[in-house]
Amino acid sequence: MTTTDYRHEPSVVEGRPSLRELDEIIAKPLESKPDKKYFLALAVTLSMLGIGVIGLAFSFYYGTGLWGNNNPVGWGFPIVNFVFWVGIGHAGTLISAILFLFRQKWRNGIARFAEGMTIFAVMTAMIFPAIHVGRPWLAGYLFPYPNQHSLWVNFTSPLLWDVFAVSTYFTVSFIFWYVGLIPDFATLRDKTFSKIKKVIYSVFSLGWRGSNRHWQHYEMVYLILAGFATPLVLSVHTIVSFDFAVSILPGWHTTIFPPYFVAGAVFSGFAMVQNVLIFIRKIFNYEHIITLDTLEKMNKIILLTGSIVGYAYAMEFFTAWYSGVQPEQFTFVNRAFGPYAWAYWIMASCNVFFPQFFWIKKIRRSIPFMFVLAVLVNVGMWFERFVITVTSLSRDYLPSSWAYYTPTLTDFAILIGSFGFFFTWVLLFTKSLPVVSIAEIKAVAEGSQPSHKDH
Amino acid sequence: MSSNTNTVEYVKKDLPASVNKIGIALLIAGLLIIVFSYFVDNTRSAFNNLILLMFLTSIGLGSLFLVAIEYLGGAVWSTPFRRVSEFLAAVLIVVPIIAIPVYLNLHSIFHWTHTDVVAADPILSGKSAYLNETFFAVRVVVFFALWLLFYFLITKNSKKQDETKDQNLTTRNIKLSAVFMPIFALTITFASIDWIMSLNPHWFSTIFGVYYFTGSLLAALAAGTFIIVMLNEKGYLIKGLKKDHYYSLGALLFAFTNFWAYIAFSQFMLIWYANLPEETVFFMDRLHGSWVYVSIGLIFIRFIIPYAGLLSQPSKMNAKNLKFFSLWILFAHFYDLYWLIMPSYSKEGFVLGWMELGFPLLAVGIIILVFSIKSKKENLIPIGDPKLQRGLDFRL
Amino acid sequence: MSDKILYSYTGLFDTPDEIIHAAGKTADEGYKKFDINTPYPVHGMDDAMKLKPSRLGYFALVFGLSGTFATVLLMTWMTAFDYPIVIGGKPFFAFPAFVPIIFEVTVLAASVATVLTMLFVFFKFPNNSHPLHDTDYMKAVTSEKYGISIQAEDELFNEEKVKNFLQALGAKNITPVYFDNEELNVKHAVFEPKFISLLAVVFILVSGATYITLNKLMFITPFNWMMEQSKTIVQESNVLFADGFGMRNPVAGTVPRDQIPYKYKGDPEGAGENLANPLIPSKEVFALGEVKYNTYCSPCHGFHAEGDSRLRGQFPNPPSMHSEKVRNWSDGRLFHVITEGQNIMPAYSSQLSREERWAVVLYIRALQRSLNAKESDLQ
Repeated sequence: MTTTDYRHEPSVVEGRPSLRELDEIIAKPLESKPDKKYFLALAVTLSMLGIGVIGLAFSFYYGTGLWGNNNPVGWGFPIVNFVFWVGIGHAGTLISAILFLFRQKWRNGIARFAEGMTIFAVMTAMIFPAIHVGRPWLAGYLFPYPNQHSLWVNFTSPLLWDVFAVSTYFTVSFIFWYVGLIPDFATLRDKTFSKIKKVIYSVFSLGWRGSNRHWQHYEMVYLILAGFATPLVLSVHTIVSFDFAVSILPGWHTTIFPPYFVAGAVFSGFAMVQNVLIFIRKIFNYEHIITLDTLEKMNKIILLTGSIVGYAYAMEFFTAWYSGVQPEQFTFVNRAFGPYAWAYWIMASCNVFFPQFFWIKKIRRSIPFMFVLAVLVNVGMWFERFVITVTSLSRDYLPSSWAYYTPTLTDFAILIGSFGFFFTWVLLFTKSLPVVSIAEIKAVAEGSQPSHKDH
Repeated sequence: MSSNTNTVEYVKKDLPASVNKIGIALLIAGLLIIVFSYFVDNTRSAFNNLILLMFLTSIGLGSLFLVAIEYLGGAVWSTPFRRVSEFLAAVLIVVPIIAIPVYLNLHSIFHWTHTDVVAADPILSGKSAYLNETFFAVRVVVFFALWLLFYFLITKNSKKQDETKDQNLTTRNIKLSAVFMPIFALTITFASIDWIMSLNPHWFSTIFGVYYFTGSLLAALAAGTFIIVMLNEKGYLIKGLKKDHYYSLGALLFAFTNFWAYIAFSQFMLIWYANLPEETVFFMDRLHGSWVYVSIGLIFIRFIIPYAGLLSQPSKMNAKNLKFFSLWILFAHFYDLYWLIMPSYSKEGFVLGWMELGFPLLAVGIIILVFSIKSKKENLIPIGDPKLQRGLDFRL
Repeated sequence: MSDKILYSYTGLFDTPDEIIHAAGKTADEGYKKFDINTPYPVHGMDDAMKLKPSRLGYFALVFGLSGTFATVLLMTWMTAFDYPIVIGGKPFFAFPAFVPIIFEVTVLAASVATVLTMLFVFFKFPNNSHPLHDTDYMKAVTSEKYGISIQAEDELFNEEKVKNFLQALGAKNITPVYFDNEELNVKHAVFEPKFISLLAVVFILVSGATYITLNKLMFITPFNWMMEQSKTIVQESNVLFADGFGMRNPVAGTVPRDQIPYKYKGDPEGAGENLANPLIPSKEVFALGEVKYNTYCSPCHGFHAEGDSRLRGQFPNPPSMHSEKVRNWSDGRLFHVITEGQNIMPAYSSQLSREERWAVVLYIRALQRSLNAKESDLQ
């Protein structure tokens, strides 16, 4: 039996650093010149981005015929990647908004970074619907403005809901992120000795003074934003799931899709955040701020959401059988034993089986193990979207039109490019802004709040 | 903060005898009406009995879930009044008794129990491996056994801690709760499929388990909130509960009211949009005849009114408001179950008479009685819980 | 030094407990215009300072509801009134399908507007010229200290008293903060004519450039790929066919829909003998005949069929139809002339349908009768 002491709140920040020390630790990456390793990493991500740009250039020049999409599989890699990246973005808002509402203090160390990843992931995701419409230069017609044809957009289409959901999500996440950054800009402004930096930080801090008359409203707005962001984060992946679920295609049309997609998104998002944080805390010496306890808690959430995803798989299978509808039953048997069985079993093992190792405390707290498991989770979640999109389309109601979908090199180039795009932003972020919220981490440091003993 | 054992002052006060009396009076009144209504209209009573069964299951199982999630999530703010949920979970002991009349009337409630009907219907005979009376009975017994097992295991440790103040008991309960979670998820899902979804055996919806779970959680939260606020106002709970605690309760009620709307809307919208006949049948029944008013009423009663009532920050801390809306949400859950179950009994329009009144009376009577019996035997505060002091120090 | 205007007296504390205590005492003392500056929000400070709860929640509610109603109205108008199209068999006002967008716009409107209200209305940001900026006090409170600043504007402010009060609270580094004279003397040039004219010029340039870019330079013919298809148009030549015509002749013997081939081609006598008028004389038939006659026949034959052409001799005048020869022709014979033409009169079969031709024949009969009425007509 372990003898955990439940009488005291475990501190979020280890080692009792002073507030000034926290400033120093967090601001250090911004004040030092990037080293060789950083440039090496940037070179790698930029090369990946370059591959993607080449793939896109070819696609624009020759057309989308370069992709593996065929008839009936009209939704191939672009939608798979879109859903995948939007999903990655969900962890950030979950950490910053939902865990904020649940007063989980450990979130303070990782919220900023996760929010940043949200913004970059949504930016990455937005590439895919834009290129998948085939003529991205006409994408302006997706917005309801009084255009030359006096035609309006189709408000009953889930694809249009996506436009609204993803752009709202991006805007609100960005605002949330910026509002959180304002006090940190003020701290950096008063800390720096460089004149240029001071001007930049002053402009972005808007003249923040740490006044409690401001903190009061600031906290209120933060609460309101969290209150809005929470249903928003649910709605975004819900609407992404509607893209599939409002159709009548077996395997797409099922009522559990909304919560199931949200859980899956949080699942993959947490895995991605955990992966990147493992590097960040090591490279920037944030071990006392992004503690092993925090990572363990993230692993627990990965386990929880992974189990919810497993529950949804089980319910889908059970209900397909229970429904008595033949095409439904066929679709699920086809998923598990049809031509895409390999993808299905990669998905099932990575998403449901491997995360179960997180029941074991030692694995939850072992960096190499958790890293590998989280990578597997992301592989699995990518394949989940692949399985949903491709298996249902490739064998739909009409057996005469069945076809096997094989992605092309261009598809893979664009996929690699999306990773390059995302990680380039992440790398730039680590060197230009504080990746841990200075004000928030101070607020949960030991002894930083009054003890209220005199009340 | 001292590192010694808790120095929380708590003097156990017994609930006034009138509580017990009210409970018994309601119980007897409810029972009389029910027995009489079984004589008058057996089928209708059996359907009402099913609502009662699902309602009490919600309260008991939902409360047990709340206890488990507190352990699992390491929450401290709810520790000072965790006992309230533990007592409410004891309703689970009564639930099997409520299930007996339902089981005796299986043929008049569940269409699929008639073997001749099933044999004539290819879809139903396809499901008969799952929907048959033997397997149904086995499942029900297994569900009750599992729920009661975890109820006894978790509350036993919690009770023991009052005396021993052993921190390992908390660790043990955390582990128990972790094991309970997947079992809970599966049992509540299949219980809702068995008892509600199979009323119309042709219909299916993958989200249904989540729908019932959300309603149950809300009902359990609402019952707990009402009792906590009442007891705290009368001084039966420990001193030191603040607005911050009230706010958290109110916020959870508000959050899950929204979550219910989200789940209900997702289910409706997807079925409405795809318009597949095998799925729309569920909503067609509920938009038929006078049921359409009940359906529209559900949106207001279950979502819009509690949403508006709990939206603002002060409204979540106001004791009066909290009490009103927790009762409202309990009523809304009953209403929701009525909306789910009764269209299978009367297709043409909703029915409401004296028969429908006896069952809620019995439900309230059982809850009050179970609570007062449990509170006589046990402390209303988990005084040995290591998280108790932290729970009292809790600030937003 | 004395010409500097005092903004406030500031003091620093080391722990959150001290600052809460100090804030409570300051508020109790009756100071209104004082502020606490901390590197992060300190719990319980709002109560200690006796601040009213933030009203921003109500702003958020109003902004959110505005977003909701605006979206509902806009979508209803667009899909149910301005351009109704049936999509997927759903009603024009398909409310369940509107809910996602209503929700998104509500959230967007509420969060963006609330944050902007907070920053620009409540905080009056951006404000980088506040007297507290660039002081040692500010450098301390954005990092690790907890500061209090009692402003000189306060009614109870008295330099000595405040200094002593802060000392009694246990504050360190008690320092006065002055307004920056340079900042104070800067006049905001918002209303100067030069600035306003600059704004006007910028406005004209920007809007002009936007107009030209969007409407002239970037104008794309919308969806023109239906107009410009690679196909052979009727009048074009085409090398694919031996005769080089883009337009193809129908297969021999093709009969146009609704048309029966004329049986008495070049056989006026046969037509005269065998064809009978299928129309029963009625008001409508005569009206039709009159319209068609006046349109197609009267230019040469005259309104009364007397051969008095309105063409002023550009063509040879046709003979009168009141001649005995024509009066004695059968209906079929007349029909044949209209169908096939006669002498220099062209055929009218492509302009007039069979029914119309028969109606014209009837009308001509009526015209003939008007000049050579029978006895019975007069009765």
